[in-house]
Amino acid sequence: MATRLKEVDVVIVGLGWTGGILAKELSEAGMRVVALERGVMRTTNPDFSIPLVRDELKYVVRNALMQNTARETLTFRNRQSDTALPMRQLGSFLPGEGVGGAGVHWNGVTWRWTGIDHTLRSHYEQRYGRAFIPADMPVHDWPVTYKELEPYYDRFERTAGVSGKAGNLRGVTQEGGNVFEAPRDRDYPLPPLEPSYSQLIFAEAAAASGYHPFSRPVANASRAYTNPDGSRLGACVYCGHCERFGCEANAKGSPHITVIPKAMAQPTFELRTHSWVTKVLLDSSKKKAVGVLYTDVATGQEYEQPASIVALCAYAINNVHLMLLSGIGTPYDPSTQKGVVGANYCYQPGGAEQGIRMFFEDKIFNPFMASGAFGVALDDFHASEQFDRGPVGGIGGATIIVGQSNGRPIQTRPVPAGTPRWGAEWKKATAKWYLRSMAINVTTSNMPNRYNYYDLDPTYRNVFGQPLMRLSYNFLDNDRKVFGYISQKALAIAQAMKPTSMNGPGALGDYSIVPYQSTHNTGGATMGATPRDSALNRYLQSWDVSNVFVVGANAFPHNSAYNPTGPVGALAYWVADAIKGRYRARPGLLT
Amino acid sequence: MNRSRGLLAVLAIAVIRFAVTSAKAGVDPDKGKAVFEQCAACHSLGEAGDYDGPTLKSIFGRKAGSLEDYRYSAAMKRSAVTWDAMTLDQYVTDPQAFIPGNRMAFAGITDKAERDDLIAYLAIATK
Repeated sequence: MATRLKEVDVVIVGLGWTGGILAKELSEAGMRVVALERGVMRTTNPDFSIPLVRDELKYVVRNALMQNTARETLTFRNRQSDTALPMRQLGSFLPGEGVGGAGVHWNGVTWRWTGIDHTLRSHYEQRYGRAFIPADMPVHDWPVTYKELEPYYDRFERTAGVSGKAGNLRGVTQEGGNVFEAPRDRDYPLPPLEPSYSQLIFAEAAAASGYHPFSRPVANASRAYTNPDGSRLGACVYCGHCERFGCEANAKGSPHITVIPKAMAQPTFELRTHSWVTKVLLDSSKKKAVGVLYTDVATGQEYEQPASIVALCAYAINNVHLMLLSGIGTPYDPSTQKGVVGANYCYQPGGAEQGIRMFFEDKIFNPFMASGAFGVALDDFHASEQFDRGPVGGIGGATIIVGQSNGRPIQTRPVPAGTPRWGAEWKKATAKWYLRSMAINVTTSNMPNRYNYYDLDPTYRNVFGQPLMRLSYNFLDNDRKVFGYISQKALAIAQAMKPTSMNGPGALGDYSIVPYQSTHNTGGATMGATPRDSALNRYLQSWDVSNVFVVGANAFPHNSAYNPTGPVGALAYWVADAIKGRYRARPGLLT
Repeated sequence: MNRSRGLLAVLAIAVIRFAVTSAKAGVDPDKGKAVFEQCAACHSLGEAGDYDGPTLKSIFGRKAGSLEDYRYSAAMKRSAVTWDAMTLDQYVTDPQAFIPGNRMAFAGITDKAERDDLIAYLAIATK
């Protein structure tokens, strides 16, 4: 029997970036907020202090900051005719667990999604005709415009301490920035980091080919910085232990050093760790949430936390899972294409597996001298409207990237194709090429497809006996066209750099859930203009249960060639403002 | 053996450099205040507060790793360093070279003039 607790104004499920932003904003506005986090508390000191944090075995091989698949995972299949099987080890993507969530272990790439991403369907229909979008691609426009979100992007960039250089200030193109970005009101709070040698020679080759290289925007502080809330960030020391680690120098914009401590300073805020929410509780009408049910995983005790507002702020996959488990919104059915919850799952083709790995006899790159996110990017094949998709025959684009996120000794062993996989020859090759190798990645957008979706698994269950999420997903024809076209452009730049040899680019075969690619899982509970094609309205409110807000990358109708955290953070501020302002005064569906 | 000899060499050079440059005019605590912004993300000059590093209040003359309410690395505690202008200069030049294995996540300040300004500022601001 669950113990019923005292009602609060807001219960937040999951305390990462989105939960942290809501927790701070709403508790500062005087609302009584409880955050339920299934993982543990974490702070930079002592959890991420050196030398202990630089432990590749613990954090990378054994995934210390990630969800434990023995308690909860998902099942996976490439196609309808397959039987989905549980993912028993993490691989392709890494949902975080614990206070700070994925905001602790991310690399920090912080794009603003731009022009076309907000108006994808209308853009393609207008420019290429209605028939250009296949019938099995249920893409729709965002219900929020870039212009509306611009100040919220700015807020997130300033909170997270983003280093970058503007490419378009109020419509005026800026030399050295991303000339294809949408207009911004002001520059980034911090200048770009120092580029690596690999980035410099790539930028030179790309510029010589007529492209527009720039330093991509990153939440790795290029110098010490105090954000507008008074949170202090240190300067990045290029230690190369960023993604999958917490930052020892507080240089990576993360919720556990910014918004979460600010929320915790509020008397109206309470954090409960080890608190695993199993269900959102609805009243008999099924139109209103009355709170959540959760289990203290340290004691096994079950609690009911009543609340006027339920904010789902867990990892995107888990947000959708909770909606399906709780009966919020109509589950998506691919056979009829009716229902919305679970639809529009997208990923991001073009991980390291498909990238171009180059080897130079005469160059030393020092790969261990690295920041998680710093990199040189080309947006000529994504945000650029000059890039004609007609000859590609596909929708979307790709960013071409040279980063240098790490040279961790256990897993960073690049060797030319044809090298034996073990033995003396392999040892010789890995010693020779470790310092002399760099990579170009082609990060490709991903359009939704009728058969790429989530539902509840009919067989497998989590530690609480609840059905696991089932993911049905594959790379499709559109992905192969777009990735294929742009990876050839990247290959031409690579060839111009005259490496001794190179591997790749790889081909897009079936999607494999085994090798790491990116933690950029989007969709499943999308925002849209009507309840017919989306689960959430423009304030990320469930169309069906209006006091449930579902905040995260689950809301994106498609996935961009950009990383997702920029708009995830911006949308969290946008939602917080809507709740503090209009919703609080007058609950119900906001318009 | 090699490591301690290397350390001795570093110390000797630092001592010589310090002796030379500290005689120079032009050390500017105001500039040092700007340099200190790099440190301020983790270090308070006053009360301990919610900082990840120990407070620098009254640091001159303090034995390294000796504040009771701060959890230091073992390396810092057994360093046998007492903080003064010279040891601070050596530490800030290359923290991991001066006290290997300490927990401060900072790459160091290579510019001697910047370090001099910083230490001049600290001499005033940590009193």
